[in-house]
Amino acid sequence: MAVSHDVGQLEDLVATAHRIRQAIESVIEGKSDVVRLTMTVLLAEGHLLIEDVPGVGKTMLAKALARSIDCPVRRVQFTPDLLPSDITGVSAYNQQTREFEFKPGPVFANIVVGDEINRASPKTQSALLECMEEHQVTVDGTTYELDSPFMVIATQNPIEMEGTYPLPEAQRDRFTARIAMGYPEPAAELEMLDVHGAASPLDKLEPVATTAEIKALIEAVRSVYVSHPIKRYAIDLVAATRTSPDLRLGASPRSTLQLVRAARAHAAMSGRDYVIPDDLQDLAIPVLAHRLLPSVEAQGQRRHPEQVVADLIRRVPVPDAQSAAGGAPPRRGAGPRQ
Amino acid sequence: MSMRLSFFSGLATAAVAVTLYPLFAGSSWLWSSLGAILLIIATGLLATRYRLPGWLTPLAQLTVLWVYLTASFAADDAWARIVPTRDAFFTLAELTARGFDDIQRFAAPVPDNPGITLITAAGVGLIAVMVDALAVRARRAALAGLPLLALFIVPAEIVAEPLAWPAFILAAAGYTGLLAADGRERVGRWGRAVLVRRTRGTARPAADAGGLRLSGKRVGVTAIALAIVLPALIPTLEPNPLFGFGVGGPGNGRNGNTISIPNPIVSLKGQLTLPDNATVLTYRSSDNLPHYLRMWSLDLFTGEQWTMTPPTGRPQDRVENGPLPPPPGFRAGVPTKRAQMNIQISEDIDDLQFLPLPYPATEVGAEGDWRADRSTLMVFSTRDYAEGLQYTVTSDQPAPTRDLLQAAGPPGPEVVERYLELPPDLPPRIRQLAREVTAEEVTPYDKAVRLQEWFTGDGNFSYNLQTQGHGNSALIDFLINSRVGYCEQFAAAMAVMARVLDIPARVAIGYTGGTNVGGTWQVGTHDSHAWPELYFEGVGWLAFEPTPAGALGQGTARPPDYSVPPPDDPATGDATSDPSESASPDETTSTADPTAPRNPRLEDREGTLAPVVTEEDPPVAPRIGAGVALLVLLLLVPALVRTLARSRRLRTLNRPLPDPGPPAVRLGPGAPADGTAGITGAPAERADPADRTGHPMAGITGARTGQGDARARHYAAGVAAAWAELDDLLYDYGVTRDPSETPRTLAQRVSQQHGFDPKATESLRHITTVAERMLFARTPGDPGLLSVDLRRVRRALAATAPRGRRIRATLMPPSTLRRLRALGTRLLDGWDRLESLRLRRPRRTTP
Repeated sequence: MAVSHDVGQLEDLVATAHRIRQAIESVIEGKSDVVRLTMTVLLAEGHLLIEDVPGVGKTMLAKALARSIDCPVRRVQFTPDLLPSDITGVSAYNQQTREFEFKPGPVFANIVVGDEINRASPKTQSALLECMEEHQVTVDGTTYELDSPFMVIATQNPIEMEGTYPLPEAQRDRFTARIAMGYPEPAAELEMLDVHGAASPLDKLEPVATTAEIKALIEAVRSVYVSHPIKRYAIDLVAATRTSPDLRLGASPRSTLQLVRAARAHAAMSGRDYVIPDDLQDLAIPVLAHRLLPSVEAQGQRRHPEQVVADLIRRVPVPDAQSAAGGAPPRRGAGPRQ
Repeated sequence: MSMRLSFFSGLATAAVAVTLYPLFAGSSWLWSSLGAILLIIATGLLATRYRLPGWLTPLAQLTVLWVYLTASFAADDAWARIVPTRDAFFTLAELTARGFDDIQRFAAPVPDNPGITLITAAGVGLIAVMVDALAVRARRAALAGLPLLALFIVPAEIVAEPLAWPAFILAAAGYTGLLAADGRERVGRWGRAVLVRRTRGTARPAADAGGLRLSGKRVGVTAIALAIVLPALIPTLEPNPLFGFGVGGPGNGRNGNTISIPNPIVSLKGQLTLPDNATVLTYRSSDNLPHYLRMWSLDLFTGEQWTMTPPTGRPQDRVENGPLPPPPGFRAGVPTKRAQMNIQISEDIDDLQFLPLPYPATEVGAEGDWRADRSTLMVFSTRDYAEGLQYTVTSDQPAPTRDLLQAAGPPGPEVVERYLELPPDLPPRIRQLAREVTAEEVTPYDKAVRLQEWFTGDGNFSYNLQTQGHGNSALIDFLINSRVGYCEQFAAAMAVMARVLDIPARVAIGYTGGTNVGGTWQVGTHDSHAWPELYFEGVGWLAFEPTPAGALGQGTARPPDYSVPPPDDPATGDATSDPSESASPDETTSTADPTAPRNPRLEDREGTLAPVVTEEDPPVAPRIGAGVALLVLLLLVPALVRTLARSRRLRTLNRPLPDPGPPAVRLGPGAPADGTAGITGAPAERADPADRTGHPMAGITGARTGQGDARARHYAAGVAAAWAELDDLLYDYGVTRDPSETPRTLAQRVSQQHGFDPKATESLRHITTVAERMLFARTPGDPGLLSVDLRRVRRALAATAPRGRRIRATLMPPSTLRRLRALGTRLLDGWDRLESLRLRRPRRTTP
C-alpha cells in the first residue's frame, strides 16, 4: 500500500486537532491532557470511556467534543429501564405504506454520547457495545451500516456508586481508552464559576471541523509509520500485563491493536509521521488499565491497575534500551518477571 | 534438605584429595581415599535424612571411617572382618607406624604400600569429616576451606615441582562448588516471594535465585581463570612458573623447602635410595683425579635441618664474563692444585639449575646465563637448565700445609655471623660431646681433624642409608645413641659440632668424585653426597669427610689429604715459610676483599618472593621507572580505545555524502527523500559497519529506493555514530540510562539534572531527535551538524561534572570498561552454553 502523505496533510491534522482542542478547552477548564486524549481516541477511531464521580464535567466534555465537530450527535441517557431498541432503533409499522419501516435509534450518528452507561441493564449495554465493535446495527434481519466516523463517548460513575451495573471486562475491552476527569484545579474552578455563571458556554460553541475533515484526518493517522521495534515494544508492554503477578487478567490482543492505533494518532497530533516509544508510554495507562483485573494480592495492597501499568512501563526496556555502541546486552532477569 | 550440601562437601574433599597425586607412585591411595569419602558422604546423608543432631554426625562419621579402615587394612584381625577389635587396632597402629617410617625413608613419589595408603585414607577421611562438619552441620561452608587448604598444602609443601594447573583448577572448582551449593541452600531458604500470582501459570519460588546463582557461578569461574592466567602473565615469576609453592623464608620450620629448588637433602636422600645407579654426569680431569662436585652450600642451621640462604647472582658475576669471584677467605700464597675439568651432564637430569663444580672453581665455561653467588661460589641459573650441558671448569683447590692451617687466624666478623650461628635450643649434650671429643686439641684445625677422625674412626659410627629424620632429637640420636647414619647425618653433625667449636662450617651437597671408567670419571645417583666445609682464615673453605668411605660406607668418598692426621709427627719444616707470609696482618688484604660475605638477609630481601634472585643489569630505580611507565601505558589503554572510537565515529559523522549530486534537501517531517517511500519493512541494515558490536536497532529504517537510498543510509550511519557516541559520553560522565527510558525523556532528564544551558539542551535534544528518527521513522532525514552538537553536550557535561569524574571520563572512560565487561559477559555466556550441554535434570527446588 503506497501511501502518499505530504507535509500539508500532517500540518492540517495538527491545526485541526488544535482547533478542536481549543474549542473544547473553552468549555472544560484546565484539562488539556484529557482533551488531548479525547482527540487521540477520536482520530484513532476508538471509543472513549470517561469514568469519574458525578459533576466533574464528563458529559460536558462529551458534548463539547460533539459540538466542536459539525456532525450528527446523539445523546442517550442510560437508565435502568432503557431497552436495546431504544438505542438501535425499531421497525415500526407504517400504516400509510403498510410496511415495516426502520426507525433508526440514536446510534445512527457520528458521535454518540452514552451518559451513565453503567446505569442501564447489561442487555441494553451490550446492544450499544455491539454497535461499537461492528459499526453496524442489525434489526429484524436487516443490517444497517453506521456512519463513519463513529465514536461512542460513554460516561460512567465509579462502580461503588449506587444503582449501577458495572461493565463486564469483555465490554470494557471495547473502549480504546478510559480516562478520569479528576477535580479541576482551584484556579480552573474559579474561572469555571466566572464563565459558567452567566450562561452555558456550550451554547456559544461553534463547530470548528467538518465530518469530511475528520475523515481525512483519520486517513492521515492511518498512514503514520510504525517501525518494527515499536511494534515489538507495544507487544512487550501488553505481554507484560499478562505475566505480571499483580494482575489477574492481562490485556487482550485487541488492546495491542488499539494501543498502536492510538499511538499513531498521538504521534500525528504531535506532528510526527512515525511513532516513538514515548507515544506508547504516554498512552499505555489510559489504553490498558481499564482492561486489567488486579490480583487478590494487589487488591489487598490497594494497587490499582494504573499503578501496575506504570510499573510495567518502567520495567519493559524500550527498543533502544541497550547502549548503541555495543553496550551490555540485556541482562537476564531484566524486564518483566517471567 | 542439605543433601546437596553433604554431597558437595564430599566432592570438594575428593577434588582436593586428587591433588595429592604427585606424592604417590601407585593409585591404591586414591581408591582408598575415595572410598573413605564416599562412606562419609553416605553417613552424612543418612544423618541428615534421619535428623541426627549436628554434633553426633561427625562422631558417627568417625566411627564409620574407623570401621572402614579396619575392614580395609586389618580385616584379618577384625571380628567378622569389619568390627574393630583390639587386635585390629594394634594392626592398624603398627601399619601406621610403618607407614610413617616409609614416609620418612622415601622421597616424594612414595610407593603406596598399605601403611602409607592407610595414613592417606585416614587423613583424607578426617578432612572429609571436618569439611562435612563445618559445611553441612555448622553451615560455615567458607570455613570448610581451611581443612581443604591444609590438604591442598601437603603436595605443594613436599613436592618441589609446581603443582599442575589442572590440579589446581580441580581443587578450586571443588571448593567453589561447595560454596555454590551452600549459597544455593541459603537462597532457597529465603523462600518464595510473598507476591506470587497463584491464579494462573506456575507459582515460582524466589525468581531471583537463578540470577544470583548465575552471577555467583560467574564470579567463581572468573576468579579461577584469573588465578591461573595472572601468575602466568607476571614476568617476575618466570623462573618458577605456575604455583611455585614451597617458597618460604629461610628456615621456615619443619620440612619447609626454603628454596624453590628441590630440597637438597630430600633429593639427596631420594637419589641415594634409588634402586638403580643412574649416571648423573661424566667428566674428564686434567690431573685424572676424582674431585668432589658441589652444587649447593647450606649455610643455615635451623635446629631441624640445614638449609640455604637463597643465592644472589648479579649480572657482573656471569661466568661467561671471565673468572669467578675469588674464593672467600683465600689469600694469595697458599699453595693450590690446579685442575681443569670437562663435565658432561646427563640428558636425563631434570630441573637442575645449579652446576656441579669442584670448590673453589675459578673459571667456568658454560653456555647460558649462569651466575656465581659471590659468597658461596655456587653457580646457578634462573633461566637455563643443566640438562645435557657440557662445560669446562678450572679450579684452584688449596693444598695447604698443616702448619698453615694450624696458624690460621680468627675468622672475620661476617663469616662468624653467618657461619657460626646455632639455634639456641641446641641440646647441651651436643655441645658437651663436641668439646669432649676435641678436648685434647688446641687449634681449630686440629679440632676439625680430630672430629673427622672421630666420625670415621673411633666414634664407632656405622653407615646405613635406612636412617631417618632431621632435627635435634635426630641429631642426638645419631651422635649419642645409634651412631648410625649416612652422609647427611655425618655432614650435618660434623658441621654443627664444628660450629660449637667456633669453626665456621657449612654443609655442601653434591657428588663425590665417582668412579673412573677408562679415563672418564662417572658420577651416578649413588654418588650423591653431603659433606661439611670448614672455614680457615687465609685458606678459605675446606671440605672434610666425616662419612665412612669404602665398602661399608659411601663407596667413592675419600677424605682430602689435609684432613687426615699424619701417621707420624708433623714435619713442619717446609711449611713455616707460608704461615709467616700469611700471618702478616691479614686485614690489609681482606678488608678490600670484595668476597667478604655481606649480610645475606639484607641482600635477599626479595628472596622470599622469588627465591633465586637475579639482579638485572640496570639498577632498581630505572626498572621501577620502566615498570611504572608500562603500568601507566597499560592504564592509558582504555582512554586510547575511547579516543579511537570517538574519532572513528566523528569520521563517520563528517564523511561527505557518497554521491554529491543535487544538494541535500533538508527533510521536513514526513517528507521522504525522493517524494515517495514504500512501507516495505525491508530487512534491517547495519548502519555503521564499525559499530557492529551489537546495536540492535541501528539503522533499522525502512527500505529506501533509488537515489534517496544511499543518502538515507549515509544519514543513518552518521546518526548511529552520533547516538553511540552520546551513549558512551553519558556513560562516561556517570549518567546511567534506565532501560525503559526513551531518547526523549533521557534528553530531558539529563539537561535538567545537569543544568544545561539552552544551547546545550537544544543540542542534546537535537541528537536524540535525530536518533529517534533513525530508530523509528521511515527515513532518517538530514541530521545536520551532529559533531557540533556532540561537542557542545560534552562540554556541558564536563562543566557540571565533579573534577574526579571528569578525570575519570578522560583517563579511564567507563564506557570502555563497559565494553570490556560486555566482552566478558559474552565469554561467560559462552561458558554457560558449554555448561548447559551437560545432561541435567530440570532444575527443581526441593520444597
